This record gives sequence, C-alpha cells and structure tokens, in this order.
Amino acid sequence: MRRHAPVITLSALALVLSACSGSSGGDGAGSASTDGSATTQAGGTLVYATGDAEPTCLDPHVGGNYPQALISTQYLEPLVGRDADGTITPWLATGWSVSEDGLTWDFTLAEGRTFTDGTPVDAAAVKANVEHLQDPDTGSSTGYLAVGKVTEVEVVDPTTARFHLSAPDSALLESLSQQWTAIQSPAGIERGQDANCAAPIGTGPFVVEAWIPQQQVDLVRNEDYVRPDGTAEPAALDGITWRFLPDAATRYAALESGQVHAIDNPQPDSIVASEGTDITHIDAPRPGSSNRIELNTAQAPFDDVAVREAFIRSANPEPGIETLFAGVTAPSYSPLASVEPTAYSEPSLFGYDLAEANALLDGAGWTGRDADGYRTRDGERLSVRFPVSTNQSVAAEQSLFEQIQANTAEAGFEVVLEPMDLSAWYTALGENAYEAVSAPYTKVGPDVLRILYHSDSTVPAPSGYFANHAQVKDPALDALLDAASASQDEAERADLYAQAQAIVLGGFYILPLYDQQNHFLTRGVEGVETLHTVSTPTFVDAALTQS
Amino acid sequence: MTLVRLLLGALGRAALVVWVTATVVFFALRAGGRDPLEAVLGGPGSQAGPEAVAAARTEYGLDDPVVLQYLAQLRRVATFDLGTSFSRRVPVADLLRDAFPSTVVLAATSLVLAWALALVVALVAVGARGPLGRAVAAVLRGLEVVATVTPHFWLGAVLIAVVAAGLGWLPATSTPGQPAGLVLPSITLAVPLAGFLGQLMRDGLEEAGTAPFTTSARARGASPARVFARHTLRHASLPVLALSGWAVGSLLSGAVVVELLFGRPGLGRLLVDATLVGDVPVVIGAVVLVALLYVVVVTVTDLLERALDPRLRRPRARVASPADAPAEPVALS
Repeated sequence: MRRHAPVITLSALALVLSACSGSSGGDGAGSASTDGSATTQAGGTLVYATGDAEPTCLDPHVGGNYPQALISTQYLEPLVGRDADGTITPWLATGWSVSEDGLTWDFTLAEGRTFTDGTPVDAAAVKANVEHLQDPDTGSSTGYLAVGKVTEVEVVDPTTARFHLSAPDSALLESLSQQWTAIQSPAGIERGQDANCAAPIGTGPFVVEAWIPQQQVDLVRNEDYVRPDGTAEPAALDGITWRFLPDAATRYAALESGQVHAIDNPQPDSIVASEGTDITHIDAPRPGSSNRIELNTAQAPFDDVAVREAFIRSANPEPGIETLFAGVTAPSYSPLASVEPTAYSEPSLFGYDLAEANALLDGAGWTGRDADGYRTRDGERLSVRFPVSTNQSVAAEQSLFEQIQANTAEAGFEVVLEPMDLSAWYTALGENAYEAVSAPYTKVGPDVLRILYHSDSTVPAPSGYFANHAQVKDPALDALLDAASASQDEAERADLYAQAQAIVLGGFYILPLYDQQNHFLTRGVEGVETLHTVSTPTFVDAALTQS
Repeated sequence: MTLVRLLLGALGRAALVVWVTATVVFFALRAGGRDPLEAVLGGPGSQAGPEAVAAARTEYGLDDPVVLQYLAQLRRVATFDLGTSFSRRVPVADLLRDAFPSTVVLAATSLVLAWALALVVALVAVGARGPLGRAVAAVLRGLEVVATVTPHFWLGAVLIAVVAAGLGWLPATSTPGQPAGLVLPSITLAVPLAGFLGQLMRDGLEEAGTAPFTTSARARGASPARVFARHTLRHASLPVLALSGWAVGSLLSGAVVVELLFGRPGLGRLLVDATLVGDVPVVIGAVVLVALLYVVVVTVTDLLERALDPRLRRPRARVASPADAPAEPVALS
C-alpha cells in the first residue's frame, strides 16, 4: 500500500496542477545562452527528434518526401547546392556548362572524391544514379519528375558527365540541388532495394549505422568527409541519434528537459514559449510554393472570376494569421515562397473589402438568399467544398480555415470544411470533389509554377494525382511558363516568371496565406544551419554546448 | 465443463476471431475507393511513372479481382504467411516481432499496476472506519469514477507536462531498454482501468465481507487476516479476473494512444502508421495478432477462474428432464 501512495498523490497533484497552470515554460536549468558565449565540447552525440512521419525507406530516390530529405541531408549530397541569394553553387559537381540549344549539359566532378564504401564519385556513378531514378522498379516520384527531361547520361571521361535532354530545361540545376536527386554509391544501389533502403551509402558528413524501426536511426561521423570546397574536415559531432516522436507536446517537453537537442515541427505556442529561454529558434520556410488556398476553376461557382475575387475579398485571413500563429509567420501575397528570389508579390490585390465582395456577387447573379443566409442562384446554393488534410494542416491552420469560413459567410458563401486523412484527401482531389483546397508543394526554384499552373498539370499521373488543383488553363500563362522553362538567360527567366505570377495573382486563382512553415528549435547545440536548397538542417558544423 | 472442452472451445474461438478480423480489415482498407497501390509507391499522392505503377500492380497481384485478392489473403493468413509490407518491403512477421515485445511489456506492467491500485483503493475504502474513514472512502469512490472516464491522451499529456517537463523526475520519452521510461506510460494506461477494476473489487469485498460463510468462519475463530486471504479475496477477485480479459483488450487499444504520445515503439504505433499509409498486409497482420492475443488472455483467465473457483471444476449436476422420468409413476411402497 505504501509504495503506491506516491503514485496516487502524484496523479491527484497532476489533476490539480493542470487546472491552474498554463504552459510549463522553458525555465529549465540550461545555462548556455544563444549568443554563442557558452563553451562547446568536442564530440558527443546529438539527439534530433522529428515529428514528421518515419520514412519507409532511407533512400530518398524511392518515393521522395520531406522526412526523407530531412534525414538524408546528413549522409547524402547532391551535385549542386544553392546559396541564400538563390545562386546555384558547386557541390559534388565543381562546374557545368550548357550547349546553345539547351539540350546538352556537361557536369565536371571534383577529382578523387569517394563514397564511404570506397567507390569513386565519378561520371559513371552519376549515370547510375540517374538511371536508378528513372527505373520503374525504384518507384521514384519526386526525383523521377526532377529528371523527367533527361534521356541519357553519357560518361565522357571519369570527371565529366554529359546529360542529354529531350527538351531545354532551365530548372535542371535547381532540380539537381534537391535531396531527392542526391548522389549515392552505385555499389550501394546494386545491393538491392532492401539493403539500400536500410542504409544508403553517400558522401555526407555522417553515415547510417543502424535503423531501429519506429524508434531511431543511428548515424556516426564520416571520418573521411570532404567539404564542397575540397577541404577534408569531418564534422565535430561523434554522431546523431535521429528519433521519431509524433506528438508535438512530447517533443517540446523532451527538448525542455534536455532529452533531445533539436526538434522540428513545433507548434506556434511552443515557439512563443521558447522566447527568452535558452532555446534557439530557426525559421527556414520550405522552397517552392507558398501555402495558399486554390480555387477550382473547372466548375461552378469558381469558374466565374468575379466569384473568385469576391471570395478573396471577403476572406480576411490576416487577423487570423496574426493571432493563431502568434507572430511566428507573416502573411504572404505571392504564389512562391519568400525564400525564392524570383517571388513576385502583389498585396494590393488582397485587401479586405466586404462591400466589394457583395457587389461582385450581386453582379454575378448570386442575388438570392436562402433560409440560412447563404446566397443562391437559380435555386442552387453558393457552396464551397473545402477538404482539409489533418496530416498536413496543423491545428492553427485548421482554425484559420474556420475563421475564413466565418468571414466569407458574411458575404453569403457556405464553406463546408471536411477534415480527412491524407489518403481520403487525395481521393477527393482526384475525383474533383472540391471547390477550394490548400496543398503546398515543395520544390527548389520557380519551376514549381509550371507544375502548379500549367494546363499540362491538370492531366493526372497514373496514380490519379495532379498538381494543378486550381485547374488553370490559360494559354498566355502556358506560353510564359514554356518560354521560361526553355530560356537559358537568368534575367529573362526571372522576368518571365514575374509575369506568370502576375497572371496567377490577377486571375484570383489562389489566396496566398503564408510560407510553408518549417521551424526548428534547438537547445544545447550550436552551429546548426539550414540548407538553402530544401531548407533542411545540416549538422556538419554543429557542436554540443556544455550546460 | 472439462478442460479439454475449454481448450477446444478456445481454438474454435481463435479461428473464428481471426477469420472475422481479417475479413473486416481487408474490406475496410479498401473502403472509400482507397487504392493499396499508394502504399507501395511511397504513400498517397505519389507521382511515380506509369511503368512503376504497372510493375507494382503485377508484383502485388493488385490487378486481380477483389474476391481473388481476398481469398489469397485468407490463404496466407491460414498458413501463417503474413506476407511483405507494401510500404517497407520487409516481411510483416519481422515488423510484428520487433514491435510485439514493447507493447506486451507495457500492457503487462499496466495490468499489474491497475490491479495493485484497484486492490489498494478497494481495501482502504472497505476497511476504513469512523467518520474520517467514511470520508476517505467517499473520496476514493469519487476518484474511482473520475479515473474510469479519464482519457488516456489527457492524462498522458498532463503527466508529461508536470512530471517530465516541469519537475524533471522522469523522462518524457524513452526507448524500450529504459525501465524509468515505462513508469509514465504505465500509469497513463493503468489509471482508467484501475478505476473500473477498483469499483468491482470494492463491491466484491463488501459483498463477500457480509456473506454467511465469512460470518461462520469468524465465529469459528478465524482471524480477519485468514478470512481475508482464504475467503473474501478469492470471491472478490472472481469478477475482476473475468474482466481482465476484456481489460487486456482495452489496454491494447489504449496502447495506440500511449505509444504515439510517449514516442515508444510498439504494435499500436505500427498499426497507426500502416493504416494511414494503407499498408494492407501490416494492418491485417497486426490486427490478427492482437485478436489472437486477446483470445489467449481470455482462455488463460478462464483457466485461472477454474483454479480459483472449485464450483467450476465439478461437472454441473444436470436437472432431470421430464423425458427422463419413467412413463408410469413408480410405486413408493
């Protein structure tokens, strides 16, 4: 009996304390400050806790999602990188050139580099990797699309790989800078998919040692690591323990109590709670599109641009973003993420104007009102089906959609929010059973505009998926996107994409909300940077601090 | 009933349960137009090319009519061939074998803790004397009811926030090798169950305490402790034991929430991940395993009941039916 008294007392205490306490706050015992004045220690194992789904395969060639990009950043490297200004930088490839007609690209590889199994990083390895991406048995999705225009890779000599394209592709370098096209050892690939999924072999600062499913992946330092600039300097950490913790509150509690050093996907209130403590916040929006609501123009009511404009004018998302996200992110007025240098923004198109919205709807013929106060036309209600994926939309975002639902109801829109799991959500989209949807798309570079707004993207893939959810079919827009894809001139390309974005915004096809949220919290570690390609954290220069 | 009949009954139950669960899961995963192909190609929304899709369809037999696929699945289940995971390309048996121990340890620890909590609370409530004792008993009865309706996700989140993050006494998450990490998850699972079992135990103790056999045992000079150990406790334990089979089922379903919350590996977490991705073989394998586990526990509790209660060991006296009576009344003289 006595031995259980503490348990009973604790339970009672917890019940009482939870009633009167708010967030427990980060007033922990750490003494390291965020301005780098704490002493760092050599070695040690960093513990990273991710809230994203556990990958089913550690090789990002297979499938190709963000959790795979997060972890493969530690052990695989792409051919090229990108700096903060958006300029493509050398990585495994030290130089490149393109032919006049844009159909032939030559990549020069650094000499003497090897994978961790001793296989040389040469043109034959690059060829094997591209073939692996294009092989149906691999089941690649993201990487396969990225090299979609590559017909063949020719080995000119050990340090020169020649890419032959079926059509000019101005986005090739950006596509090759992603983790989903990273270069692995050909000998590793030849072990077969089972072995390569368990431990891909690359050139990165860490090596996969073990994978305990549902629990963690153990990474150890690559002692022979060579930096992109050619210096041989391994990482400071002895290794990384990559843990999978699905619950956001548990992740934050583990960070606060010192069990883990870095977490991703913190909720906005956790980010706010960590301000002023020894927890460092890294804000690294994902590249590609912004987070936006797309309006289905293929069917009523959004086939009418006046109705689309009325919806956007009555939505008023800014106060909701400010409150629900607690200042962690700013509203966006662009189809592209703010980390894309070619992003074009037009805030004046998105001002809140309820009177204008009502006038537009009256002019469009939606003059009737039914018993619930929603507008009708010819007996049909102004109804907007909005499937919401609970996997992708965090609680704050779902609340924002509810606010938009309430705001647009004042103009007479009936927004029907339908929360569903990811699989059902994709089914609803494939069957065209939606009028509005929010579907972020992560890709490096403005070529994502072609994927999202070109009329070719309304044609479904064999799985039934298509990316152009707004179903935009504008020949002028198509022409701009095609020209931009073929252009070899950076300035011309940027201008063409700006014009394309102006058309997307001016047609009221989308309501931009904010960047794709990608936040990280760290404690007890310094020197954590994020890549300027896919915005994943890299621990190559990280060191644990003594607390 | 005899031991043999009991065991045969258990086997029959097991087969029936396995068949029904496999069927329900198979069709549930295909409901709403879901395509199992998604899991093979890296999850929903895959943009894999046409050749990859065609190759996957052939390899996993997804081109066959649904009935054929169902029969193939049944045949696999009957021969204990659990197949290969769609999304992870490893044998389902390996995944289950890795996840199984963690969940069993968690469930067993929680059951023992729930029993202990229930026993303690029931003893205190029944044994308390005087005005203070009655007040304590009333409070405990109230707490029992509250415990019964406490949701796992709420209790677990509160424990993490207060004990792990706030006080730092115990870790918020843990790996299976750390005993300290088992404490909070076990408490989370045990408390609601303890509330329910405690009510049963208390009722049983009160009833057995006022039964005639207790009075006569005390009258013959047996000490309260002996009466408790040999008589009252055995009687009060019977309904609790009978419901422990159901309790294990509820613990296994609660393990889904608790494993996700505390970041522990196990069957529950495996089941959730596989369902979200649509990985049919893993879901069927995990659900069938849980169902079999449940049947095993129920059979074990039946055996334990027989051991505790002698009345169940004797064949029941059959009431003579009118058909057995002789056709003519037998003369009594």
